[in-house]
Amino acid sequence: MNDGPLIVQSDKTLLLEVDHERADECRRAIAPFAELERAPEHVHTYRITPLALWNARAAGHDAEQVIDALIGFSRYPVPHALLVDVAETMARYGRLRLEKHPVHGLVLTSTDRAVLEEVLRAKKVQPMIGERLGGDSVAVHPSERGNIKQMLLKLGWPAEDLAGYVDGEAHPIALTEEGWSLRPYQKEAADAFWHGGSGVVVLPCGAGKTIVGAAAMAHAQATTLILVTNTVSVHQWKTELIKRTSLTEDEIGEYTGTKKEIRPVTIATYQVMTAKRGGVYRHLELFDARDWGLVVYDEVHLLPAPIFRMTADLQARRRVGLTATLVREDGREGDVFSLIGPKRYDAPWKEMENQGYIAPADCVEVRVTLRDDERLAYAMADTDERYRFAATTPSKLRVTEALVKKHAGEQVLVIGQYIDQLDELGEHLNAPVIKGETKVKERERLFQAFRDKELQVLVVSKVANFSIDLPEAAVAIQVSGTFGSRQEEAQRLGRVLRPKADGGGARFYSIVSRDTVDQDFAAHRQRFLAEQGYAYQIIDADDVLT
Amino acid sequence: MERMSEGFTEWLRSRSDEQLRVLAMSRPELITPVPANVPGLAARAGTPSAVGRALDRLDGFTLAVAETLVVFPPDQLSPAIRRATCDAPGTDEAIGRALATLTEMALVDDERRLAPGVQDALDPPAGLGQPADRVFRHDERAITLADPRAVRKLIAQVGPQARAALDELAWGPPSGRVPNARREVSVETAQSPIEQLLARGLLGAIGDETVTLPREVGLVLRDDRLHRDLSPVPPPLEGVTRRADLASRTAAGQAFSFVRSVEELCELWSVDPPGVLRTGGLAIRDLRRAAQQLDVPEWTAALIIEVAHAAGLIAAGGPADAEWLPTLSYDLWRARQTEDRWEAVARAWLSLDRVPGLAGSRDDRDRLLNVLHPDLRRGAAAEIRRRVLTVVAATELAPSQESVLARLTWERPRRRGAHLARLTEFVLREAEVMGLTGLGVMSPHGRAVLTGVKAADLLAPLLPEPVDHVVLQADLTAVAPGPLTGELDRWLGLAADVESKGGATVYRFAEGSIRRVLDAGQSAEEVLATLARHSTTPVPQPLSYLVTDVARRHGRLRVGSASSYLRCDDPAVLDELLADRRAGVLRMRRLAPTVLVSKASRATMLDSLRAMGYAPVAESLEGDVLITRADARRTEAQPVRQVNGLAAPEAEVVTAAIRALRAGDRALLSRPDPVGEPGGAVPRTPATATISALQEAIKQGSRVWIGYLDSQGQATSRILEPARIEGGYLTAYDETRAAIHRFVLHRITGVADVN
Repeated sequence: MNDGPLIVQSDKTLLLEVDHERADECRRAIAPFAELERAPEHVHTYRITPLALWNARAAGHDAEQVIDALIGFSRYPVPHALLVDVAETMARYGRLRLEKHPVHGLVLTSTDRAVLEEVLRAKKVQPMIGERLGGDSVAVHPSERGNIKQMLLKLGWPAEDLAGYVDGEAHPIALTEEGWSLRPYQKEAADAFWHGGSGVVVLPCGAGKTIVGAAAMAHAQATTLILVTNTVSVHQWKTELIKRTSLTEDEIGEYTGTKKEIRPVTIATYQVMTAKRGGVYRHLELFDARDWGLVVYDEVHLLPAPIFRMTADLQARRRVGLTATLVREDGREGDVFSLIGPKRYDAPWKEMENQGYIAPADCVEVRVTLRDDERLAYAMADTDERYRFAATTPSKLRVTEALVKKHAGEQVLVIGQYIDQLDELGEHLNAPVIKGETKVKERERLFQAFRDKELQVLVVSKVANFSIDLPEAAVAIQVSGTFGSRQEEAQRLGRVLRPKADGGGARFYSIVSRDTVDQDFAAHRQRFLAEQGYAYQIIDADDVLT
Repeated sequence: MERMSEGFTEWLRSRSDEQLRVLAMSRPELITPVPANVPGLAARAGTPSAVGRALDRLDGFTLAVAETLVVFPPDQLSPAIRRATCDAPGTDEAIGRALATLTEMALVDDERRLAPGVQDALDPPAGLGQPADRVFRHDERAITLADPRAVRKLIAQVGPQARAALDELAWGPPSGRVPNARREVSVETAQSPIEQLLARGLLGAIGDETVTLPREVGLVLRDDRLHRDLSPVPPPLEGVTRRADLASRTAAGQAFSFVRSVEELCELWSVDPPGVLRTGGLAIRDLRRAAQQLDVPEWTAALIIEVAHAAGLIAAGGPADAEWLPTLSYDLWRARQTEDRWEAVARAWLSLDRVPGLAGSRDDRDRLLNVLHPDLRRGAAAEIRRRVLTVVAATELAPSQESVLARLTWERPRRRGAHLARLTEFVLREAEVMGLTGLGVMSPHGRAVLTGVKAADLLAPLLPEPVDHVVLQADLTAVAPGPLTGELDRWLGLAADVESKGGATVYRFAEGSIRRVLDAGQSAEEVLATLARHSTTPVPQPLSYLVTDVARRHGRLRVGSASSYLRCDDPAVLDELLADRRAGVLRMRRLAPTVLVSKASRATMLDSLRAMGYAPVAESLEGDVLITRADARRTEAQPVRQVNGLAAPEAEVVTAAIRALRAGDRALLSRPDPVGEPGGAVPRTPATATISALQEAIKQGSRVWIGYLDSQGQATSRILEPARIEGGYLTAYDETRAAIHRFVLHRITGVADVN
């Protein structure tokens, strides 16, 4: 009997035994075509999806390699049906190609006429195509390059986009590696993107995605449009770019609600791009304001739907997406694939942690018990009020205080959803509160103070969740949070994952009310974090308080 | 004709017993029932249906040889066949083999003459038209056409269009439709190409609107070849080469998961059986549900259900046989080793006379075909299944479906068709799912099942070994890295939910599943101990926390059922009542100081209390919920439907049949009249001696004298040539009646030697 590290399940999941001697080799072999779904301590679960297989095809792997890897590492016989399915799915990618044509601009060609006929018969494809050029190709309206890719993916025949890119307006950008240097994986990621043309780089929070973006810009040597989630991120990108590249402050423009600068490198927020007045997007012209050579999408998994539509028109420009996860809450992974591009680089959190690039974190769930009168009130509360009631129980206050006290001398972030609760906490802990209404200037001042260790405890609301950089936060305490959303967890954990100067471990507490919906949501969180391979334990509030 | 059949009868009679045995083996329908004598056998062999069935069994080359004998005289056979095969190597040997087969099957005699009925059955041979003398009825044209040179000359006279029409008809079908076919035309008046042909007799009218190409013309057009591209050897099997060990392992893996699916299906149906449709079978909705629950495509689910049924694991049962339930034999089957269980279901599939692949499709009348419905029965299913598998087993390759089909068509050209292609496709995919083949290659255990050898021993070493441990993880999953041992499997099935199946099983612990195992009577400590015992790693803290947390709340609320309650504000009255002996039958229990509950109904309660001198009043009661547990149910043991495969007749049966036949024939020839009943005392022997004497006579082939009580109870005595004993009957040739007869054994009063 073969003693491989891999077990192939009939539902297309792959179980990898991580302590097996061939586990590393196996992981490298299957990573191109299987998405890591869960990475708890002993057995990792990968899943083979059509998108993952097409990503592999786009990266130059063929079905034979995939099947060899499965058979070679599998402990048990691989179901034949699965192998057939893999081969068939992979064969679907690249049957159709989008190519440049000297006369017709853009053409869709096929190596398989039946497939071409099939997709051309689809009603939704018809408006996008022009003249039929012989049996195997058809002209495509250049403006539909994105839309047709989206549609073909939906039909199950993803097209390979070989139509190339415009160079854009040249602009010299170089990395200034003084006092720091590009980490090997960052260089690999940037190179992989560049060779692929367009696509997505998947790196964990804290792994330096901004620097990968900068390295991509240095490859492109052209004017660049950077789209980020919010204004704080805009500032951080700007600071980082000035620090890491030859770009000067004058070359970088901010395009936000307050400032509208268009410079060779322009950083804009999703929010301003999707702002509408009178039913039309007011800032669409930004995309045409310059002849951009590169578009950078930060946090691709949060990309709002209108940006997808705008991106569909940007297919001739190089695009790089940066994200910690390809999983989208709205299930639009396919749009990321067809519009931004296939996955070009991927490294699992755990591996980066082992290499010391990100700090390991300990997750602790603290369960508080509601008082009897609170339980009665909870039982009588309306369904939609229940979570708020459970999440903001005063019992959490005492536990938070105790935890802050326990970690005195360390940088502590307290994260919550409800402003009343946060204000109360701020009062009790004697710590400033950052919430939606806090001015950007004030926010940055507080963040800086926290960074400089003038402030030890900071209470933040949801606004702090995305793309801020708090390098020295060693402890995060979550008192309430949105309903078990997976990517929010990733972000929150990202806060404390930043490698710390002293190399100490980070700690992530979440305080949960026992026997309430709060606990149900916590179960989602627990599952997600454990699946990501983090140590997780559950303790009772009494253990903290005594 | 009469003479021909007489000659054939004589020839048959001249065959040795062994030759007749071979004949009976290859055409079992000739001896069921056993004909009285050789003329009877000959007559049966010449019937259209018997000839048709025999021809159906011929391969393409042998059939071509038979067809050639229809058209050409025997001495022309070899040259004609060589022309058709273009002198391919091995042609002569192949002709020899084909003739041997035809002779063996009594389709051709030693003089290469066709047996009666064969010529008619093969008409028209190889797509040729009727002979000229039949088309033109003694017309002079028939005489002209008899000379190939004359035919060639005539063909040379017609125009290119007419020539094209001839070429169109040359390789059959030889007839075409034209209006007014019987028109009068002569060479001079002929206008259209058809008229040119009709005028020269190159086409002849065989109906008012039908013309045909006379056989002689066809042969000339075919260059005197009866067949195109005739191959003396079967077409080669083409396919992909696979690593043998990998293929067998894959097959074993499939075998394992198939057995598991069957078990899973039976388990599901034992608590939640689907209904039997009024017309029989299983509703499509239930099939879909099974497919979803088993996580397989619908056709696989149909196969699993059909095979489970054929193996006697499920049957209609329950009230009015209205539910599909696992049988008692399922429990026996489940207790066996995986490899034995597989062998049982694989054999059931092999002899299944139904086509599970058709389930879900519609028949000619657009009716939906349901799984387990009588409509899925196809007489040829088992035979074709076996033939397909035999072809696959004949190669080390994973043969392509096309080449398997080509081979099958060559083997039995008269049985080809769309139906065959479809069945072949079904068999190939089903064999893969069941694990007879792996990666398309016949596995050793698959081959064993096919040849009737014990397969389980070959399969066993390839199956994954059961493991007795799991890997517990902090995300509350347990991974069983292989099939679990029975006990642990059942326990985990209770304590966790299955999340993913395959070589391994992934279980997830959740509040609900932990509650289930606590409900089953285990304590939190026992659960944790079981986990610790079977885990290769320490039990993760979140998991033990979950178990204790669920246990903390488990059973805090208690639910029970009672038929009535009794309440009284004065606890003393209830004390008194409980102490009262007369109330014992009411089986009351105290829930609280002022409340009693009882199993007795409200009416009984009221009556009894009144009888005891109390004055109770009834209270209306609402919301009394009775909780019933769904019991695992079984149908009564049902006889497993014995599928009568087309297994070749047993050798002994054939030998006995031939003996009876010979005896009958001898009687016919030498003693056309029955011998007189022997006089003297009727033999009397004890029953055991009777049977052993008869068996000895069968072995020796000798005659015996018996006493027999006929159906009227009259004692008679007979001279017999016993043929075989079976099921309480003796089959023998009765010389006193000059016929084959079946005798009831217990009515034979005794046996004695004839002398």
